[in-house]
Amino acid sequence: MPDEPTELPDIEDYRRQARDWLAANLERRDPGARDRLRGIDHKTVEGIAEERVLQRRLYEAGYAGITWPREYGGQGLTAGHQAAFDEEAAGYRLPDFGVAGGTTMMICAPTMLAHAAPAFLRRHIPRILAGEELWAQFFSEPGAGSDLAGITTRASRDGDRWILSGSKVWSSGAYYADYGMCLARTDWDVPKHRGLTWFAVPVDAPGVTVQPIREINGDAEFCQEFFDDVELGDDDVIGEVNQGWSVAQTMLVFERGAGREDPVRREGPGLLAPDLVASARRLGRDQDPYVRQLIARAHTNDFVAAQLALRVSGLIRRGGRASTGLASYGKLARGTFDALRARLGMEIGGAGALVWEPGDIDGQTAAVKYLNGRELAIAGGTNEMQRNGIGERVLGLPKEPRFDLDVPFREVVRKAKSWSERQ
Amino acid sequence: MTLDKNGAGRVLCAAMDLDLTSDQELLRDTTTRFIESACPLAKVRELSEDASGGVEPSYLRQAAELGWFSLLVPEEDGGGSVSGEGVIDAAVVAVERGRLLQPAPFVPGNVVALALAAGATDDQRAKVLPGLIAGETTAAWALADPTGDWRADAGVTARASGGDGFVLSGTKGLVQDAHLADWLLVSAGSAGGPIQVLLPSTAPGLTVTKLDGLDITRSFGRVTLDAVDAPRAAVVGDPVSGRPILERQLQVAVVLTVAESVGAMDHIFSETVEYAKNRTAFGRPIGSFQAIKHLLADTSLLVEASKAVLTAAARAVQDEREDAGEVASMAKAFVGDSGIELAQNCLQAFGGIGFTWEHDLHLYLRRLTADAYLYGEPAWHRERICTIHEL
Repeated sequence: MPDEPTELPDIEDYRRQARDWLAANLERRDPGARDRLRGIDHKTVEGIAEERVLQRRLYEAGYAGITWPREYGGQGLTAGHQAAFDEEAAGYRLPDFGVAGGTTMMICAPTMLAHAAPAFLRRHIPRILAGEELWAQFFSEPGAGSDLAGITTRASRDGDRWILSGSKVWSSGAYYADYGMCLARTDWDVPKHRGLTWFAVPVDAPGVTVQPIREINGDAEFCQEFFDDVELGDDDVIGEVNQGWSVAQTMLVFERGAGREDPVRREGPGLLAPDLVASARRLGRDQDPYVRQLIARAHTNDFVAAQLALRVSGLIRRGGRASTGLASYGKLARGTFDALRARLGMEIGGAGALVWEPGDIDGQTAAVKYLNGRELAIAGGTNEMQRNGIGERVLGLPKEPRFDLDVPFREVVRKAKSWSERQ
Repeated sequence: MTLDKNGAGRVLCAAMDLDLTSDQELLRDTTTRFIESACPLAKVRELSEDASGGVEPSYLRQAAELGWFSLLVPEEDGGGSVSGEGVIDAAVVAVERGRLLQPAPFVPGNVVALALAAGATDDQRAKVLPGLIAGETTAAWALADPTGDWRADAGVTARASGGDGFVLSGTKGLVQDAHLADWLLVSAGSAGGPIQVLLPSTAPGLTVTKLDGLDITRSFGRVTLDAVDAPRAAVVGDPVSGRPILERQLQVAVVLTVAESVGAMDHIFSETVEYAKNRTAFGRPIGSFQAIKHLLADTSLLVEASKAVLTAAARAVQDEREDAGEVASMAKAFVGDSGIELAQNCLQAFGGIGFTWEHDLHLYLRRLTADAYLYGEPAWHRERICTIHEL
């Protein structure tokens, strides 16, 4: 292609250019800024507008989509260039789109790049990189979470249009997103995995209603959507009609973190669970032998989880296809260790995690972490789904009998409803 | 280390995330073959019912020929590792030993050799090390007191005597193969801090009592010292400047014990998975039921996490990193708890057959539980972690 560079820029040259540009164009990050704590840091549409301006500045300077294809507005460079930029940019205030940012850049766009038609990509990817399109996943439904292929939101053919109706839930940041990447059933007379199709749904299209869901921690970061005969065109289809399951598989791989860099090998075990030690000290309980046991247990589990992540990424890198299912170990470890750690935090926090002065973030932290503690045990594939994956794909245990394969989905739904009568 | 090509269920058998050198692979493979022929589980059982409780001299000599007891001793003292990284080499051996619950004082023998190589007098070195390395004599390490306090000064007091020697009195417990040992390395508290002395088992005033216990794959004893004379020539290392070696001995004992545990966990867990595939109930293999499948998935998470933290600990201790003590303690705390939980889960999956004497499950349950306590139980190491962080 004519605009393809004949050779890639030297990484150290690139790093120097990036360093100069960052110094001239971005603000330094407030070093005292806290890490985002879900349930306390809430995004607003107005706040997001400022982040879009920042993203546009990166895009125009050529620092958005560093490894993405040039034909769709990316830079076509290597992971090494991306890493150099990330290292230089670490101290700067970069666009923060909340959860929708990760959903757009790490999950939706990479999935589109793998499956969507060139015309679709030319229309959407440059706008994503410029901060003009934020995407949410319209994936889970009130009636289908773990059993994702059992969704019942339908897109029906009507002449040259598609008519979408149904409901999606747990879409992160949909209230400030521009599009939803939506999985819908387009054929009810084939087995469940063979009648699914992905669509791009503008959040402001007539018939789309977005309602925030108030979560367990009091925040409303996630949404539920209702589709009331929303009109879509063939241009809005992502991938092939009725081949949506293979697109979904790609998306799940990105969702579970493949394609991201390996976890950094930490030199050592780091500080002793700083949040828990701070909490114990506030209450004067840091010499209590029982509390010390809990602190060391949390610290040990943190270290073990990090070492396990290294082991798993190493095995996946070496094992190729033989390593199918291994990623579930990382997810199950977080799903079990996070929940346990949140409980240890409450136990250590004691009265200070039950009540606090209004506005006291330190007091609130253990409580909010406690409420968020089972997030990774449920979201993105429950612990039970990971256990099935490990049991069947890694350990080679035999599968459970199933009643939803090789029959038209319409029949699966009918039989499930009359399940107890059949026994 | 390459992955097994046999597919599901075998893909994760690599016990540590280390690229073994070809010499290390040879050490591992010859070790495995030796164990399988010299001391399979049937033999382990046989030894457990023999009152003397010791392996034949030929076992020790053959093991020594493979290099088991030389790995932590420098070449100038007649030792030698296979890779230049003795702790890693010894951990590789320990994993294989753990798989088939090997007897013989591998962990204490190596720790004593390490201590002598680091701090012994020329005379001690010449008199003791060659026999230990050749597997012709054995040494026990008396560290804990009978209540399971693993601080070096626990249980025995060393009183300065006459010239520059000590007189030792008190009791040590949980000493592996004490009744078979030719030499005992005994730690004791003195006015100037902990010291260690090397005593012949025949030293006047020293009594070894073999005890019965939970773990029948190894034997343990109590060592009583009644005003035992330890002249300066018996002291290992300078009483003050030699102290860091005591910490290193503990770290090495911890890493090797964790490695033996991981081998045992890997083995009994694989057996359990096979059982769940083959045993049928209600018209299906029991491994197809989520109740069993999920139990085994959670248990395999313990195995994988234990392998990961073993790797980190072996590496940290090998490199003598500043945080080696903490990483070793984290490995011991985590693997100690996990080994016990794994053994319990495997027993539950085996059901009735696991409750029989004839089934090997109980040997693993016993061994893994003992491993959790040796060289510091999980709670002891957790407190140590807090202390290291000056909490």
